[in-house]
Amino acid sequence: MAQPTGPAAPSRGTLSADRDERLLAALRAGDEEAFAGLVRRYHATLKRVARAYVSTDSVAEEVVQETWLAAISGLDRFEQRASLKTWLFHILANKAKSRGARERRIVPFATLARAGEDEASVPPDRFQQAGDTWPGHWAMPPRPWEDPERRLQSLEARERLRAAIGALPEVQQTVLTLRDVEGFDADEVCALLDLTDGNQRVILHRARARVRAELERYFEETA
Amino acid sequence: MSVDEIVCREFAELATDYLEGAMPDETLELVEEHLAMCDWCRDYLDQMETTARAVAAEPAAAPPGPGSEPPPAILDALVGAFRARTAGEGDG
Repeated sequence: MAQPTGPAAPSRGTLSADRDERLLAALRAGDEEAFAGLVRRYHATLKRVARAYVSTDSVAEEVVQETWLAAISGLDRFEQRASLKTWLFHILANKAKSRGARERRIVPFATLARAGEDEASVPPDRFQQAGDTWPGHWAMPPRPWEDPERRLQSLEARERLRAAIGALPEVQQTVLTLRDVEGFDADEVCALLDLTDGNQRVILHRARARVRAELERYFEETA
Repeated sequence: MSVDEIVCREFAELATDYLEGAMPDETLELVEEHLAMCDWCRDYLDQMETTARAVAAEPAAAPPGPGSEPPPAILDALVGAFRARTAGEGDG
């Protein structure tokens, strides 16, 4: 089924096991700065996930606050079978799910998620058409990016990148944030957002394709 | 997929399935055959990977905007709840 050694997608947990350990010790010792830092770090992303289940921002905000309170009271029972981050997001997802079920959100996230499925990753006119020599092959192929790692470090490139992410539809932004920014793996994201595997992948693909297109424009402009 | 080759337009839609290692063997075979002979699609694949890495490397990639940090009053209240937990333990 899966190739054994495909090019690895980035899966860099923002909290490594080691940092997790230290953070947990600090939290258990009552370190308020550590707790405040954790809240600042994850509040927005938690809210984003909550929004997959509930209909308004203010309900999402309430769900996130309930999550923090649950985390505070559960700190001593947390057994480190998962990372602190995963534990936190699962508390959130459970709370958001039951809240969403109660308020019967009219358009479920999974339905919103299907909305963009037909969109092409690359504009169709960049490929050869039916009457051309090689239909379906590139007519305007991507040009290789020169030294992308270095150029992507510039302030301007990073601004463009952030803007591209910010311009994504809500569903794509949420999946991209969880996968590529927070480093959750595909199964975790499916569980957190109640998506099927295939659905999750299509959304991730759409999101990365849109961001790639924006970076391509940036590289062309600054070539 | 029942065809015996894939074209670039199709690969453009399959790049993430490929990177995720989530394709049936027969599709994987067609994709690898295609990649072996298509520089352009390899460039496209590279760019998709570079994009994912760039997003991962951007610490502030979580889009800013209203509500990206908790309102100060909420943060204070939560820190207060956290303090109460610690204090409660000290008492008990």
